[in-house]
Amino acid sequence: MTSLLEIRNLSFAYDGSTSLVFDQLDLTVKEGDYILVKGPSGSGKSTLLRLICRLNQPQGGSILFQGNDITSIPPAKLRSAVSYVAQIPQMIDASVEENLLLPFSFAINKAKTRPGTEELRELLRKYYLADVSPSQSAMKLSIGQKQRLAIMRSLLQNPVLLLLDEPTSALDHESAAMVFSIMESLNYEHCKTLITVTHIDYKPETVSPITYNLVHRSLHILP
Amino acid sequence: MSAIINISTGQLLIALVFILIAQISSFIYHLGLNRDITVGTIRTFAQLFLMGYVLTYILKTSNPWLVLSVFMVMVVSAMFIIKGRVKEKQIPYIIPTFLTMLVSYLATAIFVSGLVVGITPWWEPRYFIPAGGMVIGNSMSALAISLERLFRDMRQQKELVEMKLCLGADYREASIDIFRNAVSAGMIPSINAMMGVGLVFIPGMMSGQILAGTDPLIAIRYQIVVMLMLVGSTAVSSVVVMLFVRRRCFGSGEEVLLSPR
Repeated sequence: MTSLLEIRNLSFAYDGSTSLVFDQLDLTVKEGDYILVKGPSGSGKSTLLRLICRLNQPQGGSILFQGNDITSIPPAKLRSAVSYVAQIPQMIDASVEENLLLPFSFAINKAKTRPGTEELRELLRKYYLADVSPSQSAMKLSIGQKQRLAIMRSLLQNPVLLLLDEPTSALDHESAAMVFSIMESLNYEHCKTLITVTHIDYKPETVSPITYNLVHRSLHILP
Repeated sequence: MSAIINISTGQLLIALVFILIAQISSFIYHLGLNRDITVGTIRTFAQLFLMGYVLTYILKTSNPWLVLSVFMVMVVSAMFIIKGRVKEKQIPYIIPTFLTMLVSYLATAIFVSGLVVGITPWWEPRYFIPAGGMVIGNSMSALAISLERLFRDMRQQKELVEMKLCLGADYREASIDIFRNAVSAGMIPSINAMMGVGLVFIPGMMSGQILAGTDPLIAIRYQIVVMLMLVGSTAVSSVVVMLFVRRRCFGSGEEVLLSPR
């Protein structure tokens, strides 16, 4: 199977800092992989995902997506294909439906098929949001509901690779279990490629992830 | 109409009684403004006398380069005032702001003196310098407000902008609301001034013309041109500066460069 994402010799330090967060970091992701990146707080897990979708720029090394250096791909095109869901889900001050259809208001996604209201209702049910109406305000949802909505919204633009940044860190046990179930079904049933970073001890039930530990400024595969 | 009454130096000094009242108020109520009032009074006298002598000299000569030099000094001074108000270290906004101010204000002043008023030559200092001064002074405040708003909102809404970027938005789409708010914030004072002119206040230029003996019906025509000129120049300079500076808030990968303070 061909590599979807190749990270080679990546180095990164924050602005104004001389100490490297990553040094000669390598990672290969193939289509359909379910990658789990673990590591202590502050080890740079979120930064790794942000570098893959160019929300931060590395000091050295290269990141190839589908064989092309990500710096040669127009940023909007890259981020439409490599979708990043932040740790704290962000919503615009509008209805659930308007939030879900937000990607389709951007030029890069205009040609993609917009789901209708009924289709959105069906999707909401799949994402354990059956009690949420498309017309209600997204700002009034709980953090767990917003997190599921954010994942759902990212998937509506049909990305090739989904990057999930600590998707359960702010959630209670029940909400976290729902998000894990969604992540596993995305990979198992829909063959989506996922990279998820988490600092909690999570063992998927239905998929076999490739698990890395991010320590000492690089990734180390875990058995 | 009667000839204009000159204000003698003695009469000018009598007007300092207003400053004395302000100083006493500051002293009694511990406002801490005594030093600023003193400096402001000295600067008012010094800067306006200097401007008066410069204008007297320029009005006697017929040198377009001299007129343009004075205009340039005014734009540079305005840029320094904006730099003093907008405390932004991360984003280099000075050069695009300065160049936009220079080009747009020059175009507006030429348009007004050359086409609307119809003066020949267009750089006739009696018209060109006051027109330029009003444009620069008004738009300077608008630009400072717009720039402050742009940087503040980009910082406060960084996560929201990044969320839109991650859903396929380009930097323009991701920051369109911030851009609109910044431009509007700068333009609102000029628009409000159009609402209140003639009802709430009589603008300085019109008052000056009337005091100098001009027919009020001529003075209002000049004032209408000025009000329209100020709104137009504020809109153009704010939009262009925000377009350039907003781009500078994003890196080569259209990532947000501003970090929270």
